[in-house]
Amino acid sequence: MHLAQQQHTFEPKIFAFVCTWCTYAGADLAGTSRMQYPSNVRVLKFPCTGRIDPVFILKAFQQGADGVLVSGCHPGDCHYIAGNFHARRRFAVFRKLLEFVGVDLNRLQFSWVSAAEGGKWVEVVTDLTEKVRNMGPMTEFKELAMEEQWSGAINTPELKEAYNAI
Amino acid sequence: MTSTLIETSIYAAISESIQAEAKRILSDGQVSTIVGYAAARRKGSAQPIVITDASDAQKLIFTPACVNNLAVYLTKAKKDIPKKGKIGIVVKGCDMKALTGLMGESQLKREELYLIGVPCAGVLASTFAPSQELTDESLAPKCTECDAHLPTGCDFVPTETPLTPELEKKYAVEIARLEALTPAERWAYWKEQFAKCIKCYACRQVCPFCFCEQCLCDRNKPQMVETTPRPAGNTAWHIVRAMHLAGRCAGCAECERVCPMDIPLNLLNRKMAKELKELYDHEAGFEVTEKGPLTMFNEKDDQSFIK
Ligand code: SF4
Ligand code: SF4
Ligand code: SF4
Repeated sequence: MHLAQQQHTFEPKIFAFVCTWCTYAGADLAGTSRMQYPSNVRVLKFPCTGRIDPVFILKAFQQGADGVLVSGCHPGDCHYIAGNFHARRRFAVFRKLLEFVGVDLNRLQFSWVSAAEGGKWVEVVTDLTEKVRNMGPMTEFKELAMEEQWSGAINTPELKEAYNAI
Repeated sequence: MTSTLIETSIYAAISESIQAEAKRILSDGQVSTIVGYAAARRKGSAQPIVITDASDAQKLIFTPACVNNLAVYLTKAKKDIPKKGKIGIVVKGCDMKALTGLMGESQLKREELYLIGVPCAGVLASTFAPSQELTDESLAPKCTECDAHLPTGCDFVPTETPLTPELEKKYAVEIARLEALTPAERWAYWKEQFAKCIKCYACRQVCPFCFCEQCLCDRNKPQMVETTPRPAGNTAWHIVRAMHLAGRCAGCAECERVCPMDIPLNLLNRKMAKELKELYDHEAGFEVTEKGPLTMFNEKDDQSFIK
């Protein structure tokens, strides 16, 4: 059966940071089971959610991600025993920081997807893609990257005068 | 608006006790070196001093201009202090929290230190001249929320008790104001703040917890944070900085004091401290613990944000 191809005006870029043992295998299962999910997601494989530094998320947004998904093994299933427990704390705190600097947390999703949960992977990816599609492109970080240094703008009368006197 | 005077008359007696104690421990050889404060050239100002001779003990003072957190001199990032014998150090309550944290992170050993605690009513904000008298307005913002006026766990503390009026908690008020805004408004606020940063890294150099031999933000293979002082790299630097200090920051506000661009760095630190308190009931700096809140976990930690 072929699903009707829907046309959208905006295709969001979703970066997914996943652990190799659970979520990556789950996504693989979705693939081998021929389940359909949005192709907006770019999967980046890590040994463990504990290896996913919050700075990667930041970098993803700077490089043009409209949404970010971080996914790994369910608590208790970590291949390295406790990597996901550490990650859980780190991301709980990191979310709060991003929220405080003004990032809309609807663009950042965390999930536990096991190797057997191909269906859940499809669901998580589809939900996030649709949510972010409705929100439109993430412009904040991209705009920052386009902007110049503060001193490039001569925005006070004193500075203007000094500049013109050179 | 009239301002309330903060009582600092006890500081003279405290200075005397510090001098006497410093003289005693230097002459009987208990310590080899003492890090403290001495008068500087500008009227009323103070600066850090390292003394090794008992005859220099009378140089030590404590005044509202003794703003520095001296703990930073004991970290491995700084090589100003000769590393032999026990080291004496003059500490305020907030500085003590930094030392406690450093001991927990195996950067310092308690038995190698002689702690001279200071009963502290507060110090001056960086925006006021050192000769200014201490009022609720000229007081450093951190001192309005201080919970460590009397440092604990020291070897010697002068007996004076500081009078500490209940003041409006400046950071808490500002955090509440920002939290009430929409994400877009907060982004606009921080964008303006971060845009001012010139990447001088004074905030990093002065922080007792920024002792990494190589900072992530200096690495270029791979480059995680753009190093030029442009808005993108600045924002990344501030987010990474706040994240790396979450659960560790002692709240000494040195980063904010030294920032030449007046960026409210400690606001981010205090926000993180607040979140860690709410999430994991953790407060940094009160006891020496082997692990911080982000290097341990509880199987029952909240995961309501995870699908
Ligand atoms: S925060 Fe507390 S201990 Fe530190 S300088 Fe202010 S009043 Fe003194
Ligand atoms: S981050 Fe700032 S307030 Fe916290 S310990 Fe470092 S210098 Fe002090
Ligand atoms: S001290 Fe201020 S200007 Fe310098 S790097 Fe830190 S935040 Fe930027």
